[in-house]
Amino acid sequence: MTVRAYLFLAPFLAIFATFVIAPAVFGLGISVTNWSPFRARTAFVGLKNYIALFTPGSLQATQFWTAMRATGLFVVISVPLLLVIPLAVAALLNSRVRAATFFRTIFFAPYVLGVAVIGLVWGYILDTQQGILNHILRLFGLDRDIPWTVNTPWVWVSLVGVTVWWTMGLNTVIFLAGMKGISAELYEAAAIDGAGTWRSFRQVTVPGLRSVTLFVTTTTILASSNMFGQSYLLTQGGPGDETRTAIMYIADQGLSQNNMPGATAMSYVLFLILAIISVVNFRLQRDRGEESKS
Amino acid sequence: MKKRWIRGAALGVVAAVTVALTGCSGGGDQTSTDGASLGEGGYSGPKVEITFWNGWTGGNAPKLVPQMVDKFNSEHDNITVKNVVQEWSDIASKLPLAIQSGNGPDVAVLHGDDLGTYAAQNLLTKADNLISTLGYSAKDFPPGVFDKGNYDGAQYAVPWSVTPLGLYINTDVAAKAGITDVPTDKQGYEAALEALKTSGVQGEWVDSFVFTGTFEFESLLWQFGGELYNEDVTKATFNSEAGVQALTWMADHISKGWSPADVSQDGDINALIAGNTAYNWNGVWQTTNTAFDGVQWKAAAVPQIGTQKAVWSSSTHWVFPANKGQNTDKTTAAATFVKWMNDNAAEWASTGELPAANTVRDDPSLVANYPNLKPFIGELDYAHYETVAPGINEANALITTALSNALTGKMSPKEALDDAAKQADQILEQNQAKYGG
Amino acid sequence: MSVKSTGMVRPLPATVALYVALGILTLIILAPLAWMLLTSFKTDAGAIQQPYGLPDPWSIDAYTSLTGGQTPVFRWLLNSFAAASLQTVLILVTASMGAYALARLDFAGKRIIFGLVIVMLLVPPVIFLIPNYLIVEELGWLDTIAALTVPGAAGSFGIFFLRQFFINLPREIEEAARIDGAGEIRVFLQIVLPLVRPALATLAVISFLNNWNDFLWPVYVLLSPEHMTLQPGLSMLQGAYRTHFSIVMAGAAVASIPVLIIFAIAQRQIVESVTGAAVKG
Repeated sequence: MTVRAYLFLAPFLAIFATFVIAPAVFGLGISVTNWSPFRARTAFVGLKNYIALFTPGSLQATQFWTAMRATGLFVVISVPLLLVIPLAVAALLNSRVRAATFFRTIFFAPYVLGVAVIGLVWGYILDTQQGILNHILRLFGLDRDIPWTVNTPWVWVSLVGVTVWWTMGLNTVIFLAGMKGISAELYEAAAIDGAGTWRSFRQVTVPGLRSVTLFVTTTTILASSNMFGQSYLLTQGGPGDETRTAIMYIADQGLSQNNMPGATAMSYVLFLILAIISVVNFRLQRDRGEESKS
Repeated sequence: MKKRWIRGAALGVVAAVTVALTGCSGGGDQTSTDGASLGEGGYSGPKVEITFWNGWTGGNAPKLVPQMVDKFNSEHDNITVKNVVQEWSDIASKLPLAIQSGNGPDVAVLHGDDLGTYAAQNLLTKADNLISTLGYSAKDFPPGVFDKGNYDGAQYAVPWSVTPLGLYINTDVAAKAGITDVPTDKQGYEAALEALKTSGVQGEWVDSFVFTGTFEFESLLWQFGGELYNEDVTKATFNSEAGVQALTWMADHISKGWSPADVSQDGDINALIAGNTAYNWNGVWQTTNTAFDGVQWKAAAVPQIGTQKAVWSSSTHWVFPANKGQNTDKTTAAATFVKWMNDNAAEWASTGELPAANTVRDDPSLVANYPNLKPFIGELDYAHYETVAPGINEANALITTALSNALTGKMSPKEALDDAAKQADQILEQNQAKYGG
Repeated sequence: MSVKSTGMVRPLPATVALYVALGILTLIILAPLAWMLLTSFKTDAGAIQQPYGLPDPWSIDAYTSLTGGQTPVFRWLLNSFAAASLQTVLILVTASMGAYALARLDFAGKRIIFGLVIVMLLVPPVIFLIPNYLIVEELGWLDTIAALTVPGAAGSFGIFFLRQFFINLPREIEEAARIDGAGEIRVFLQIVLPLVRPALATLAVISFLNNWNDFLWPVYVLLSPEHMTLQPGLSMLQGAYRTHFSIVMAGAAVASIPVLIIFAIAQRQIVESVTGAAVKG
């Protein structure tokens, strides 16, 4: 069985080892050096890059934890919305609806746009003085311009709102695919027991989606903690450093400021935090695969 | 047993790839070929194809550059130039790694503030001999531009274009407030802003983004006699008295009712085009903005708000990347191409940039063909260019953060600048270690 | 409230509420897209001078400038289509085989491998970029379709995704097949895969989109203009100094229509119910 299993896994493992594990190990390695692709000699610097992140008052610590705060805030606000809304929409679409194909295509449509376009389109719509959104709000009697992309707290409303608008179709489709895997007989049985819409949702749909929900929760938390395109393009990290997320800072350090060692050190600190969250998440949502293990 | 074998194999793959990677990392020590030589009549060696990278997207450049390259190719039997265009930010991302791996271009155009970073990492060819053979020296370009290509005693770059800030005026909006003259000093400008306010117009919208709030701040800083950094770029000085005066003047626009609060990126120029404001400090590149279609506008030199004349300008430069295994024939051919382009740069004005070469820019036909450029050319006597130092962009970004903090009311101008300068000092110190030695 | 009931199962108020909810959602989703499309028919000046109304005049300048000689949009579309399709196939093949092993087979090291898959999901992918560039360079893949597709197919997303669907299937179905003497490959191809067709179709759409919309990686690994893909190509339509809103919006429309068509086709697979027929129990 083991040999057969590894034959099935071999193609995946080959590319996974080369393009994921190797760079990850390499990243961990260079985080204790002063490596740069443009430097002839690399020197070992020990835990310097990590210590800097935990030295109060140091530039790295200030900037990194400010960025982590932005990421944390975004995750906390966006993830619940990105789980609940798609689940509700998927449930709506999974009930008998006329023109379901039409609605499914509509709800998925924003997700086909790239982040660059999302940034430009919404930047155009959300412009403080000349955007269409404030124009419409003025028609409804709003007497001041809301600085959607320029000032707090509106920058957060915009970033979360745009992200939900953009990516809810993805989670909706995954939930829908999960719902299609739930046997119709279970619903029939629930109906015979006299379960209404809400009870059959609670008692059949939610349990049936358990492993899919674990997947969606995990990937949504990760997607939100990796957010940077939206704040890079819409708010440019502002006002001040308010919306500069961890990944935006890491990407800048690693790709633009020639500080790959620092960027990898920060990535692994973020990684540890995500690992803790994921362990909790997996514990809370123990899936069938774990249970069936003896 | 099997488990161990698999774990061993997996480790083996990782180790092999890691070794391969660290092996690669040694590629950065290209010896900068000091000055490939060049004959009097240009490159005379065997036929070569050279690659040219630039970020000239949009506007007239995508039409003009292929024409110029074709013309050059037809006039030179032994050189074929291949023109590769990508967005500036994409070039910034890929160029260093491409050079390091030997896949970069033979010639490229870079902005002045990038030169130090590239040079410090041995990504550019030291071109003193090449450039002196071409016959270029500082006096062929506007004051201060040629020296921006100088790093650590060597010349790496030849100027191509300069792009100063100017004052854009929506003359219809100004006329409605009874303003017909172009304000040139603090008193005149503030009087105009007050007159506009009386007529119900917020006269100059200030934004807190690089384009163009930061450029306006830097112009004002220099006008008040300040500097961005000290002489050897080890300390930030933009939080000096002059800097505080400059940023306070901008922030006062909002409290005095000359500007709305929380202006979005590009909201200032778009408001001018839409007829919602009269003035905007913006770059010469806006002279070719097609959105001005139907708008009554003109451009002028920026007014003198501080104690002396000064204005921000960017510059672009030709460089010769030091690709791994760079062919010196190709670099020589590239130098021939650079010289030819600079000699034939008159049409470049149609893209909204000023040709750097004095001979071309001072030719009366240039202003005759592009009258909007006249005030910008006049500014070049007192223009300040971007700081050249490795890694400087990371410190520069903090100036914009300070602007954002001050103009959105998060901090006072002084607090915002002090906070930014403190962080910039640490970055400058780190850059010494990161790029030194 | 009406006394006449339209549906057999759902009372009328619920039906009305359902469609009102769907209608509001549709409006929220469509309004920005409609605004984007309208803006693409404005002139460059119109997008800024009349930011609120309908296009006046209506203009197809933005679309003609897309197809103008300098910007080979169709070439980019083809390149993107080839890369996205190839990466999708790669992911479907490697992830479905791997996920099958992780979900349905018992073997030594399973927990370790699944653990690695999950752990690697947590490493911020942004730090893979430069190391992967160096690997791709070492492999001699720069400026090839291999660089555009293989590294992107190596992530944990697909295998984790499919495992979660495979694991939901009842054990009995493949055990019955094995008792009938079916080999592992037959069980995989003929029994298990058809049961997760909605998941496969979903993963196909997501994988295609990820590759289609990627703009950072192609910028690094592509060198020749003729190999350029759509997203970095479209970014060239912007001016060096300013955004041409109508052109960018037109480019976005052109880029998204092929993907919407693919989604419309794929979703028939996604929603087709497979459970009633095959799952017993």
